Amino acid sequence: MSPPARIALLVLAGLVLLPGTGAVIAGLPPFGSTIAQYGERINAITPQVRHVANMVSAINFDLRGLDTLGEEFMLLAAITGTVVLLRGRRGEGNTERAMRRPGRAVIPRSDAVVLVCRIAGPLTALFGLYVVLHATVTPGGGFQGGVILASATLLIYLGEGYAGWRDTVRSHWLDAMEGGGALLFTLFGLAPMLTGAAFMQNVLPLGTFRDVFSGGLMLVENLGVALAVTGGFTQLFLEFMEETRAADEPDEPGEESA
Amino acid sequence: MTLILPLLFLLTAVSGTAVVLVRDPARQIFAIAVNGLVLAILFDALQAPDVALSELAVGAAAVPLLFLVALMAVRTRPPEEKS
Repeated sequence: MSPPARIALLVLAGLVLLPGTGAVIAGLPPFGSTIAQYGERINAITPQVRHVANMVSAINFDLRGLDTLGEEFMLLAAITGTVVLLRGRRGEGNTERAMRRPGRAVIPRSDAVVLVCRIAGPLTALFGLYVVLHATVTPGGGFQGGVILASATLLIYLGEGYAGWRDTVRSHWLDAMEGGGALLFTLFGLAPMLTGAAFMQNVLPLGTFRDVFSGGLMLVENLGVALAVTGGFTQLFLEFMEETRAADEPDEPGEESA
Repeated sequence: MTLILPLLFLLTAVSGTAVVLVRDPARQIFAIAVNGLVLAILFDALQAPDVALSELAVGAAAVPLLFLVALMAVRTRPPEEKS
């Protein structure tokens, strides 16, 4: 397409879309206005009917849990697609060991980086676990905690190098975590139907308000999301690095790769 | 509170513009991480701690780290040779 035609198309699209966009922006509630009715209603009823303090978790894993099921499989599909795309050229065979392209410079990392990563890595993992487990009490939940856990595994890469990272993180475990998390979410959505209740109806004991073990079924669904997100994001990192390291020869044992 | 919000909006605009204006990819990654951090603080100031936590984990940690790793891995020449 020639440049003038592109600009003409842009102007045309702008003319079509601008009135609608303008109308939507004009219809938005003003900045700083009070929260919407739906939010007020949720705030009012959730502590009584679900015994949880974090309304966002209550919506994500219970009241609108069906939406989260869709998002869960959206994430699964996106990561599966990326993995298929990146593995396409080298096929199913994912190397079990770290590979290094011959001739690539091995950049030594300073002791300070190794020390900081060894201190920060476990602390980050601990914080991720905390965010996952306290989904119904404090802000956060399976997704946020899962991403923090995946970041913690990346700190291993920064501190120990690619070979050390691949020794710690197993690709098959990540596959199992990602698929297993989504499966856990779906199965425990279906489980209430065995008792005659509706899909994803919260049939487990709800626990006490502001206790870690409150929310009943939400805790299980939250765990499923955390597993899937941790596995999925780490798998994504691994596939990206594996792709950029399509190598001919394996790493020398004991040699640190950058 | 009246001063914090306009300041944060200004910082968001400045750091977002910086991501575009910085041309060196390695520095750009740090610019995008700073932008993510500013957005996380802004979301927290607007009383959305859940979104802030997501933004902090994805925007300020996961995405820059992924970019950094990809950039490090595609550079096959030793650092002293690059222009």
